[in-house]
Amino acid sequence: MKLTKSFNRSLWVFHLNTGSCNGCDIEIVAAITPRYDPERFGIKLVGSPKHADVLLVTGPVTRKMAARARRVYEQVPDPKLVMCIGTCGQSGGVFYDSYNLDGPIDQVLPVDVYVPGCPPRPEAIIFGVVKAQEKLERLEAAQ
Amino acid sequence: MGLITPLLTGYGVWNPVAWLAAFLGAAIIVYLIWRAGESSYKKGTEQGRPYLSGNAEPDKGAVHIRASNLYWGYLQALKPYYDAVVPVHTGVLTDYMIWFVAVTALLLVIIGVLI
Repeated sequence: MKLTKSFNRSLWVFHLNTGSCNGCDIEIVAAITPRYDPERFGIKLVGSPKHADVLLVTGPVTRKMAARARRVYEQVPDPKLVMCIGTCGQSGGVFYDSYNLDGPIDQVLPVDVYVPGCPPRPEAIIFGVVKAQEKLERLEAAQ
Repeated sequence: MGLITPLLTGYGVWNPVAWLAAFLGAAIIVYLIWRAGESSYKKGTEQGRPYLSGNAEPDKGAVHIRASNLYWGYLQALKPYYDAVVPVHTGVLTDYMIWFVAVTALLLVIIGVLI
């Protein structure tokens, strides 16, 4: 685990909303503000999954979004990780018995890191990203 | 001698060695850009297709800009004219003959009165 030594690569993150109420999305945006400034470690949001290392998924995955989430996941280059942000992605949250869900997220995509909360605080999201970075380094070492 | 001496055409200069050197330089730049690319890219999968917010890529023909798009503004500007003229184009030859005869008669009357 090289985390404390070098940050030998920037960790670029793509955010995908699969039916979130926007609470988690607001916290993700809060996490990239100057108060926390993860960009000083090379961690930043990108506009395309084709540039990303980590897929940040919020929301319980509605039926309309399931196929799109799979397509976006497939477009992320390897090695890649999926982070589930918020309770909805883990269990469906308040939407758990909705007729309109294909989720939670792990029913649709292989999730590597779960960040619980409704919504999770920015510190928790950044902690999850650090966990993701550790796992990504292990995956890269194995490749 | 012939290879190295630049050929002055009167309009410019042609030197095969300089051209080959430029080509080689461009090839090296292209190679460096290619080498810096993502090596784990999987050809033929979604990784090679464009990102369209998760939507499937439409057929190439469905996203082409048609030629009519180029003169859309022209048609829009002349819309009142087209609205009046297009219904007149019935495609029936006798209608066109009637228009021809009527306009010719009108012109003859105008010319006969004015001149």
